[in-house]
Amino acid sequence: MIGTSISRWSMTYFAMALAWLLAALVMMVAGIGYPAADLATPDTLVLVHMVCIGWLSLAMCGALFQFVPVLVAKPLFSEKWELPALALLSAGLVLLLAGFLSLGGRLPPALWLLPLGAVMLVGGFGLVVVDLGLTAWLRPAGPARFVLVGLASLCATAAFGAVFAFALAGCAGSAGEVILAEGIPLHAVAGLGGWLTLTAMGVSYRLLAMFMLSPDVDDQQSRWTLAAGAFAVAVTVAGGALAVGFASGLNVVLSISAILGLASAVLYGRDIAGLFRLRKRRHLELNMRMATLSFASLAGTGLLGIALVSIDAFPEQIGAFAFLAIFGWLSGLVLAKLYKIVAFLTWLETYGPVMGRAPTPRVQDLVAEGRATKWFVIYYAAVWIGTVTLLIAEPNSFRIAAVAMIVGVVGIAREIVRIRRLADVAGPQRLPIGTVMPHLLYANP
Amino acid sequence: MTSGLEGRIRDALRVVIDPELGENVVDLGFVYDISVVDGAVRITMTATTPGCPATGFLRAGVENAAARVPGVGTVNVEMTFEPQWSADRIDPALRNSLGVAGDS
Repeated sequence: MIGTSISRWSMTYFAMALAWLLAALVMMVAGIGYPAADLATPDTLVLVHMVCIGWLSLAMCGALFQFVPVLVAKPLFSEKWELPALALLSAGLVLLLAGFLSLGGRLPPALWLLPLGAVMLVGGFGLVVVDLGLTAWLRPAGPARFVLVGLASLCATAAFGAVFAFALAGCAGSAGEVILAEGIPLHAVAGLGGWLTLTAMGVSYRLLAMFMLSPDVDDQQSRWTLAAGAFAVAVTVAGGALAVGFASGLNVVLSISAILGLASAVLYGRDIAGLFRLRKRRHLELNMRMATLSFASLAGTGLLGIALVSIDAFPEQIGAFAFLAIFGWLSGLVLAKLYKIVAFLTWLETYGPVMGRAPTPRVQDLVAEGRATKWFVIYYAAVWIGTVTLLIAEPNSFRIAAVAMIVGVVGIAREIVRIRRLADVAGPQRLPIGTVMPHLLYANP
Repeated sequence: MTSGLEGRIRDALRVVIDPELGENVVDLGFVYDISVVDGAVRITMTATTPGCPATGFLRAGVENAAARVPGVGTVNVEMTFEPQWSADRIDPALRNSLGVAGDS
């Protein structure tokens, strides 16, 4: 296989993801959900699922449909499943959120929306898992192994979520009630730690090596990073399920999982430091410089976790811990890489077909890094200040930080739209004869 | 005559750039070999990453550029990743201006 094709619907996934992120940030500014409300309230459930499914999972799926074929140098199992999966995920999420709003009394009673939404989400994620899993399985080595473990974790996350949805609707029996009462940490660890973090780690290995001209991380080295992370998720899911079944409490299981997760993060830091140290490109582009802030946020999340545990304050500060992990590490990395991926794919879609027939601009000619830098800086500064406001229990200050996050995200989204519009490409090279203006929301066939 | 044609083909390929590095495939060292037999051109080339969606476009771009050279009949472009491309293959002057370090 010489080269893979451009994923037609990845841009659609990215656009939907950014829309969900902005909607979630508006909720935070409006004071709906955490920290204005408790973590376990229906409003917070709405917020969390908008961020984790609407923003992070859709962005991750869009990126994986393009990059899993690159990781294994094989075509995607089925390009036709991308759009139906997006439709199922979007509809399922809307129904799930409506169910939560109903649960909280913001909508008339209709708890049946929860299992219906869950079934649609399981269907959508099922298509994603089968499509990507069968593709990655063709060459399960290096970063593709991280993706496979991430997809397995997604299955566990979705299974727990579906049980919760049926239990909240009162149709999961006594076993479902027990799992709902005890199993939420397992759902969260499998989703944030397994699906989102391990997958982001795997994709980042290849993206960083490609964009910095670094040698790929040695398989023998990265397998320890993956093993620690995979064991953390496996202990959480399997050990946690047994602990729930035997009503023995989750403290031991979650403590072992935390140590393994921390080890995985430390080993990942070593791997990433090696990629930076051995890079051939001395100059770092904006996406790489901003990715370093995301890696710093991951390190900060680990240190914050250690500090909170050591002063016995983790349970009451878990919201601040999760906020830094979700918005500093995961969202920061996704935003930085979206900025690059959209430019790269837009270049290929527009100028690839005329290569050899006409002079073409460079990928870097599609972006205006000087202008974009400030939006990323505003975003990261707002996330870090927001984390502090959560730690010191200043919800009003947090809302100001959330406003600044919106400013940063809107600025980044505007830059991405300008990339799709070729707005920063100088005149004569912008649209040579034979090129077609890219569509904002999907790739031309 | 043949070596002159090879030179003209090599010059023509400079219109094809690697989108990521922003420089032409000849000076980046992507073109491993150009051979011409009775107007039939065979080009062996590489790219930075196997499986990258840019690879197919680079191959087509090289084919298009070579086919436009007067005296060229057929063009056959073969992509290979053995030996793997490395930054050492970049023209030294270009390597400095790109801020890319060599392997050795």
